[in-house]
Amino acid sequence: MSENLRTYKNNQKKLLFYLLFLLISPVLTAQTYTLSGSITDKSNGESLFGASIFLKGTTIGVVTNEYGFYSLSAPSGEYTLVVSYMGYTEINKELSLTENQKIDFEIVELTAQLDEVIVMAEEPERTNLRKPEMSVSKVNIKTVKKMPVVLGEVDVIKSLQTLPGVTNNGEGSAGFNIRGGAADQNLVLLDEAIIYNTSHLLGYFSIFNADAIKDMKLYKGGIPARFGGRTSSVLNVRQKEGNTKKIALTGGIGVISGRLAAEGPVFADRGSFLIAGRSSYAHLFLNTEAGENSANFYDLNLKTNYKLNKNNKLFLSGYFGRDAFNFGSSFKSSYGNLSGNLRWNHIFNNKLFSNLSIIYSKYDYDIRVVSNQLDWVSSINNYNLKYDFKYYLNNQYKLDFGVSGIYYDFDPGQIRPTSETSAVNPLSLDQKRAFERAFYVGIEHKLTNRLTALYGLRYSFFSRLGGQALVNYANNQPVVYNDELEVYQNGTTIGETNYNNDETIESYGNLEPRLALAYQLNESSSVKAGYSRTAQYIHLLSNTVSISPLDVWAPSGKYIKPQLSNQFAFGYFKNFKDKIYSLEVETYYKTTENRMDFIDGSNIIGQNTIETEILNGESRAYGLEFLLRKNEGDFTGWFAYTLSKSEQRTQGRNAREPGINNGNWYNTPHDRTHDFSLTGAYKLNEKWSFGGNLIFQTGRPVTYPNEQYSYEGQSIANYSDRNSDRLTPYHRLDISATYRPNEKRNRQWKGEWVFGIYNVYNRKNAAAISFGQNIETGVNEATRTAVFGIIPSVTYNFKF
Amino acid sequence: MNTYIKTILLFTFLVLTSCEDVIEIELQSVPPKLVIEASLDWEKNTLGNEQMIRLSTSTPYFDTATNTFVTGASVKVINNSNNTEFIFEDQNNGDYLTSDFVPIINQSYTLEIIYNGEYYSATETLIPVVDISGITQSRNRGFDEEVLEVNVNFNDPVEKGNYYLFRYWEDGDLLVRLDGLKDEFTNGNPFSWYFEKIEDEDNGVEEFVSGDLVFIDFFGISKGYYNYINVLTQQTGGVSLFGTIPVPLKGNCINLDNPDNDAYGYFRLTQVIRSAYTFQ
Repeated sequence: MSENLRTYKNNQKKLLFYLLFLLISPVLTAQTYTLSGSITDKSNGESLFGASIFLKGTTIGVVTNEYGFYSLSAPSGEYTLVVSYMGYTEINKELSLTENQKIDFEIVELTAQLDEVIVMAEEPERTNLRKPEMSVSKVNIKTVKKMPVVLGEVDVIKSLQTLPGVTNNGEGSAGFNIRGGAADQNLVLLDEAIIYNTSHLLGYFSIFNADAIKDMKLYKGGIPARFGGRTSSVLNVRQKEGNTKKIALTGGIGVISGRLAAEGPVFADRGSFLIAGRSSYAHLFLNTEAGENSANFYDLNLKTNYKLNKNNKLFLSGYFGRDAFNFGSSFKSSYGNLSGNLRWNHIFNNKLFSNLSIIYSKYDYDIRVVSNQLDWVSSINNYNLKYDFKYYLNNQYKLDFGVSGIYYDFDPGQIRPTSETSAVNPLSLDQKRAFERAFYVGIEHKLTNRLTALYGLRYSFFSRLGGQALVNYANNQPVVYNDELEVYQNGTTIGETNYNNDETIESYGNLEPRLALAYQLNESSSVKAGYSRTAQYIHLLSNTVSISPLDVWAPSGKYIKPQLSNQFAFGYFKNFKDKIYSLEVETYYKTTENRMDFIDGSNIIGQNTIETEILNGESRAYGLEFLLRKNEGDFTGWFAYTLSKSEQRTQGRNAREPGINNGNWYNTPHDRTHDFSLTGAYKLNEKWSFGGNLIFQTGRPVTYPNEQYSYEGQSIANYSDRNSDRLTPYHRLDISATYRPNEKRNRQWKGEWVFGIYNVYNRKNAAAISFGQNIETGVNEATRTAVFGIIPSVTYNFKF
Repeated sequence: MNTYIKTILLFTFLVLTSCEDVIEIELQSVPPKLVIEASLDWEKNTLGNEQMIRLSTSTPYFDTATNTFVTGASVKVINNSNNTEFIFEDQNNGDYLTSDFVPIINQSYTLEIIYNGEYYSATETLIPVVDISGITQSRNRGFDEEVLEVNVNFNDPVEKGNYYLFRYWEDGDLLVRLDGLKDEFTNGNPFSWYFEKIEDEDNGVEEFVSGDLVFIDFFGISKGYYNYINVLTQQTGGVSLFGTIPVPLKGNCINLDNPDNDAYGYFRLTQVIRSAYTFQ
């Protein structure tokens, strides 16, 4: 065990003692009793996350957890209990608290129609002043469904990009970027399963079928201790549980895809199910010239639950999605995610809630090059076991703690000849295995009526397991610098070390403290501050302009170190005009150690010794975010603005090496100085409602040529420093209109038409600008590739 | 493999993409540098004594001036084993010629150039090439099954670490196409490398038809030159979203007097098979 590790362990012990001390110190007061239970939607039985329950005239209150469970403690007495959730009828209930009680509430949506009405901000979206939670973005699924989108395909990830601090690399590029972080630094969870690729069709659409999604929450900072493994953010997406009251069908027919979802009660009302499918129409994007090119995708979402008794409930959920491309009969490619999760909710008592999960997820791709008779496959698998507890100790302390273990299996690539005559030799890149463990504790502590703190501590421990050989390099340098040619080159190999299955190649342990404070200034405003340290042990290898579905993940090990990030954030929050408006202003500063960077001319495809292509760098990002929302009324919406900077640098390892880009800081591809968006929805009457987006962003940093020369009869471009130029600014306007025909009150079938126009003024936003010679004139040209011009769409949605 | 994967992504992208157009754009500019095109290619079964080195300077990217040739430089190549010097004579048009060169397989040579009082140098080894076992045409390989392609067949040697360069040029075309190849995935096997043109109305590319004449040069190259040509070819067609982030292209010609003012280009020594094929 290394010296560092020992220090970590010592520190960790001290911190744990401190935390325990905090736990046992609460002042003993008069006899208190506990009220616990669950809050669900009366119409469909879906549990409600973030519904609030409080005792009128006191500061005692709590919001429901992910499973709709709540627990609060108060001194014995007479109270008025208020259960509320934005968009739902408030319940006021007289309560005589003289013993521990369990009460389940079913609450009703305000009007039967409300489901169809645009509610821009529901309770979880509205700013919660007292909770130390900050840097969290929530968009309600109903809101997402109303936003104008390209080709009418509802997209949860695109909708997040209208919020401050969230961008991506442009249209048609996969993933998203949070606060200047890279796409592989986001932990994306779908019902707790890790999703490695969030996009369909190389990023045009996201893999989340909005009909199957219950809610989502994005942590841009202040990541709670129960999450770990990525440095930048957590996007927690949860599938619906399924209607427990009646069988319901929802679906839609769009330009690109068709959707159908069924849900309803099963197991004699002890449970419910949801099954949802979405598929693009076959032979999408026909290329008329070649005649046989096609691209398509599909998703399948499944969820079911079974209530064993009042304290035990089981959930089973799954996702399967895939993309397939065919280019004539010469090339075929497909990729997709598969995940499954079995959960057991157990309520130990009215204060202690637990959840045990067994989760599997997988991402893989397959490329078949028919002309060269080869098949190329690659995958990443993980098995995850986690046990989480929530303990409602008393009105002052709430506790989260738990353990998790993730076992990874990486198969970075295998090439198989598909025939006897293939020129290609079979090749298998080294399979890699790793085990990531963590335990955490988080304490929400109400220090005073105005000041609440959240202390969190996570300890993560990563082991790169054996079962493979590792190449050794002279001077332990996989990459060497050639002084004379001034280039980085592969190091000299000096044999291999073979590691057995039961050996550990390398281990890393990290203590990840998290801290958040909320101080309520007055009834309508508060300030919050947060610090979080996060560790990331697996890394996406991508040296291209935009990440692609064929990029592979690599674990930390002997040559690749874990990324470690520190983030500080500070914010001001205010609700005004009776909570109709809310304002959030946040600023952050984030640094990341061990951010890998690729040497010039790196070759990572089919690369078994990736360490010969990378150097260890660092990154930093800072910014100011501004979000103003109008939460209620016929017109709702938000205005978001972000001013930010995101840079990285890789210095030489000694004085004679220049590093990458001469060791200077350079803009990451996701640096956006200005990012502005205006999102609105207007309800004209019962039949018509409208939505709109206006977006403006500084152009993406890119690398342009600065001179040319003649070589081999061609004009060769010499490129300037990395990302020292920018694409032209990105902007566009989208609008949508939703029409609901008159419907008979008692009719089950409800339909709506959504008409949309994406990029109304047909702005040719550059996705890329490439430089080359005109093959007829030989003159150098800059060619702009624009992905989406003006795109009208129509979608029909129904509910039955 | 690289090429396949990149092409797949690029094609997917193009299939899904709506529009491309040529735009005006402002670029950064830097002072000109010396460009050394020292390609000593020894055609198999010839003497290889006549060789040329071409010197020019770089220009701003959108500059259309062509008279960038460099005169008055002193150019020589030295056999590193016996120190024989081959002096290249200035032709006053940017070309420097010799007719005394003695090519030797796997021999290391040094290039020395003195220009503007600065001393440039490069070292490289002459790499042999295997024979072409045949050139054929077909339709069923490549991206488009309807379109003709030409196949160059050869047997990769048993030992690993062979690198090749193909240069294709269709009679009448303005530009050549370069393709670097390594035997990483195909070591020791009979191999066939194809060249196909996909019709593109936007830039005037026409697919091969019967009667078309295409010149094919097949070079054996060093690993260093493969790396250079690989970056060069990735960046010359223009860098798409799924292309590698563009980087400065660094050759092997260094400036010994002023390391910050290295020359562009490359000192390569190859054996080459030149052939031509007329589509049937």
